[in-house]
Amino acid sequence: MTSKIIGKCVLWFFALVVLVPLLWTLLNAFKITADLLTPVPKVFFVPTLDNMAYVLGRESVFTALVNSLIICLSAVGLGLIMGLPGAYAIARHPNRITQEIQFFVLSLRFLPPVAVAIPLMVIWLNIGLYDSRLGMIVAYSLITVSITMWLAIPAFQAVPITVEEAARVDGYGPYAIFFRVALPIAMKSLLGALAFSFVLVWNEFLIALMLTTSEAKTLPIVASEMSQLGMNVPWGILNAAVVLLSLPPLLLLGLLSGFLNRAFAQKAR
Amino acid sequence: MKMRSSLPFTFLGPTVLFLAVLAFVPTFYAIGLAFSDKTLFEPTSSWIGFENFAKLFGDRRFQNSVLVSLKWELATVSATMLLAIGLGVLMFEAASRKQRTFFCLVFLVPVLLPRVCAAFVWKFAFHPLYGIITYPYRAITGKPLDVLSDPMSALAAVGFVDIWQWGFFFSVIVLKLLESLPPQPIEAARLDNARPWQIHLYVTLPMLKASLISLALVKAIESLRSFDLIYVMTRGGPGISTETLDMYAFSQGFIESGNISYASAIAVVMLIATIVVFTFIWKRVNR
Repeated sequence: MTSKIIGKCVLWFFALVVLVPLLWTLLNAFKITADLLTPVPKVFFVPTLDNMAYVLGRESVFTALVNSLIICLSAVGLGLIMGLPGAYAIARHPNRITQEIQFFVLSLRFLPPVAVAIPLMVIWLNIGLYDSRLGMIVAYSLITVSITMWLAIPAFQAVPITVEEAARVDGYGPYAIFFRVALPIAMKSLLGALAFSFVLVWNEFLIALMLTTSEAKTLPIVASEMSQLGMNVPWGILNAAVVLLSLPPLLLLGLLSGFLNRAFAQKAR
Repeated sequence: MKMRSSLPFTFLGPTVLFLAVLAFVPTFYAIGLAFSDKTLFEPTSSWIGFENFAKLFGDRRFQNSVLVSLKWELATVSATMLLAIGLGVLMFEAASRKQRTFFCLVFLVPVLLPRVCAAFVWKFAFHPLYGIITYPYRAITGKPLDVLSDPMSALAAVGFVDIWQWGFFFSVIVLKLLESLPPQPIEAARLDNARPWQIHLYVTLPMLKASLISLALVKAIESLRSFDLIYVMTRGGPGISTETLDMYAFSQGFIESGNISYASAIAVVMLIATIVVFTFIWKRVNR
């Protein structure tokens, strides 16, 4: 019994290791510099909205937000249009060729981002796609299509084959079965897969750093540049930027944890 | 059941073509760049054969970055797996259903944060004068503690953030794997009066061996993406003590000399090493 209590204490300790730095950052986002840069950490202070207002009021942040949304959503959309049908075909037609394709899709994740970003930068410079949203969408769709496909294959395999056969008996063609039977049944897991690919590209940094300079900069790049404003690092503003940038992925927390639960429940069966 | 249909071709054809073009064109272009002398400042370039690669092997800074990358891989993968297995087993043993759900949600948070954000959160926590992590040290000794500008501790500090992001995430997966095991062997071991740690060491973890190896492999692949953390926290410094291969390629190509061909040669070495190693291991593990 005592060992259980000790175990619980250890778990709580690690939960604090996760939460304290994050809550601290959240607090810091509402501090003025004098409250922030104190030798003894200050828990009680008069909150200010200046940092948030500064971040949200900057034109560069607004442009980057629009860029990030357009680029990430388009890339996720491409992942959906190209990844889901491909994943379905692999899930329903297991043979040597589809196995090799499945491995090829996975192996794209082995590519070091620098090895993609450096040549893409030169190619984009040559054909005028450098620092453009389109160039970024194409680069990111390599990530979203492969990840969506990889995660959607098990989701489609979980759709009971008997349901599809019943639909076939009812006179559905193979395409109708995909759109009207398999897609709706696997919907929840597929949403999780798409959310996962969104988080990956929303958080992506290295490729964006190499493929953009001004027009198509995404939010992580702009946030990282805030540490270079003026002589001193403006920690309050930086903390505010960190909080705002982290919000979209954290909003997907519920969806993604549900996705994990379903994926492993399926494994247990 | 087998019905001839055009579906696999129409569904897979365009996707595979798209991915192949998007993967192979840059890869071959990178190899082409690595054999030329292109810089960012001049429009023309010419073929110089293996010169870049020959230069690499005599480059002390390149050797250093290979070493740093290897250290990074070994340390982050092993520490992540240890933390994940430890916490996963602990949740399985000590937490009730409701508590498990709560801890799982909390432990998923770090990996969802953009790496840039995680880097800034901890960079400020490690701040020598104002950080909360360094506060106890300052309070006791009265001296500042600068972990990020000490060559001995900088890599460890950045690695810590990486483990903070991935270890907790993987502990959730380890818990789900434990929950998916059949309960009979565990019950049997309990009836034989085995202690919890014995049950896991001799029964459950061996049953999960294949999954855990795959998990370690996934982490090894993700550990290659260390750039964001290092770029924000140390920029490869102090000196070159945290300069991994991708950081070195970036600074060669973009910060210092604009020598894009040399950077490309580094990237190609990295590419070949990872593809060969990971393809080999993955095919062996998943056979």
